[in-house]
Amino acid sequence: MIDALATEWLKLRTLRSTSVVLGVVAAVVGLMTLLAWWSARTWDRLPPGQRDHLFVSPLPEVTHMLASLCLAVLGVLAFSGEYGTGMIRTTFTVLPSRGRVLAAKAGVVGVVAVCTGLAAVLATYAAGRLLIGDRPIRGQSAEALSGQLPHFLAMSLSIAMFALLGLCLAAITRSAVAAVAILVAVWYVLPIVGHNLPAPWDERVGSILPGALAGQLAGTGNPYSVAGALLSPPAALAVMVAYVAVPYAVAAVLLARRDA
Amino acid sequence: MIEVRELTKRFGRTVAVDGLTFHVKPGQVTGFLGPNGAGKSTTMRIILGLDRPESGEALVGGRRYDRLRHPMREVGALLDAGAVQGGRTPLGHLSWMARANRIGRDRVVSVIEQVGLAGVARKRIKGFSLGMRQRLGIAAALLGDPAVLLLDEPVNGLDPDGVRWIRELLRGLAAEGRTVLLSSHLMSEMELTADHLVVIGRGRLVADTSMRELTAVRDVFVRSGRAADLATVLSAAGGTVTPEDGGGLSVRGLDATRIGDLAARHAISLYEVTPRGASLEETYMRLMAEVAAQEANR
Repeated sequence: MIDALATEWLKLRTLRSTSVVLGVVAAVVGLMTLLAWWSARTWDRLPPGQRDHLFVSPLPEVTHMLASLCLAVLGVLAFSGEYGTGMIRTTFTVLPSRGRVLAAKAGVVGVVAVCTGLAAVLATYAAGRLLIGDRPIRGQSAEALSGQLPHFLAMSLSIAMFALLGLCLAAITRSAVAAVAILVAVWYVLPIVGHNLPAPWDERVGSILPGALAGQLAGTGNPYSVAGALLSPPAALAVMVAYVAVPYAVAAVLLARRDA
Repeated sequence: MIEVRELTKRFGRTVAVDGLTFHVKPGQVTGFLGPNGAGKSTTMRIILGLDRPESGEALVGGRRYDRLRHPMREVGALLDAGAVQGGRTPLGHLSWMARANRIGRDRVVSVIEQVGLAGVARKRIKGFSLGMRQRLGIAAALLGDPAVLLLDEPVNGLDPDGVRWIRELLRGLAAEGRTVLLSSHLMSEMELTADHLVVIGRGRLVADTSMRELTAVRDVFVRSGRAADLATVLSAAGGTVTPEDGGGLSVRGLDATRIGDLAARHAISLYEVTPRGASLEETYMRLMAEVAAQEANR
């Protein structure tokens, strides 16, 4: 298993799309920095009476949302890139145990996603604190890092969940296009559909969608989002695990049964 | 040693491999022949554990491929030279394979030199010609210094130098006692490279024989001013004589010396006496025509 992990790490590291995706995540952080700078400047220029009208979405949460999609794409490419070129056959002749290949890919993608996600969210938080400072802009929390860290950790877990979901979807569909289409549906379309359901289903469905889980896991809820917040932290964790475990099991069975 | 036993594989309603049994012995190059869709690549994929057979089994060195701990050290394979990610370099591509099978980095460098890619070891594969990709695929097959090699169409896209290089490489590997299974559609090249042949058609075994037997002398072509008289003489002496289009006789059962003596005894002049071995291509075409005829009779 160590050989398989080292191999998949080597492969992911030397894959060009990896650096592209990580570059996009860095660009997202850059964009959030710009947004923080713009918010601070706008707040300063507004007459004091109108400052209450300024609302800026919590920047780490925006980073969380965008990084989720980026790393989900990274997860997709870690498998579909090999199916697209036929290299999957080389992989399976080099490492004939397909379960081990899937596990190794999942391990590597999961760790990369947690680390990248946490780094991106923390960098966004730092940029926000630095540029916005203690201006009481609505949507921006002035809470110290120690208070927000659980939420940031939950976000990075959620990003890893998206990445692993992407990996498993790519293993199941063997197609980048199909896997990304499903991901975008889960990430963007379903929350909108859920939000427009009649009560109480809007909140029920909104609570179990993948993007809603980080806030519920951290116990902060989802105050600025269309997502619901009915789950307790343990329940949110269980749903998060299910989003990975179920597709993973399907992928493992299909990989073992299908011709490569 | 590769053992294929009663292998059957279907894709939907199409039977790709149908009760196929053959052995590939070490110490010689075994050519694997058959028309497109005969099941060659499927058989190779099953040997490598990529496709799951409906029934039967394929063993390498007595074991199933997917039971091998470090498969590249026992079996080297080139299935599809295009099956690499263009963004990688030869060094990067071979490095992850080496890591998976605990093969040292010095071995990666040495196979890259051996296949003549040292100058482009750090260039992206995307810009490579088919010939260069084939060389990279061969480097991957040789990486683990395996006792068994499976190569599907390795000479595709190689220039004449490359074709000769791979012929000598494969003959050298076989001479070292390795098992080499080689598929190709280039009959003339196969004739020069292989010692033994496994021919399949429509998923079934058509021939499993040495190259020498398959291409042995089959008849003697004779041209004479008195063909009819000569035919009578040769038939009386036990030969089987068939007139050919464009004049001349095809004679079986008598060798050139005997034909010359008989003609001299009867004072029949000869213009040409040529012992003819079938080329591999002719023999192969004949075998395939037989397969087609059998199929039509079913």
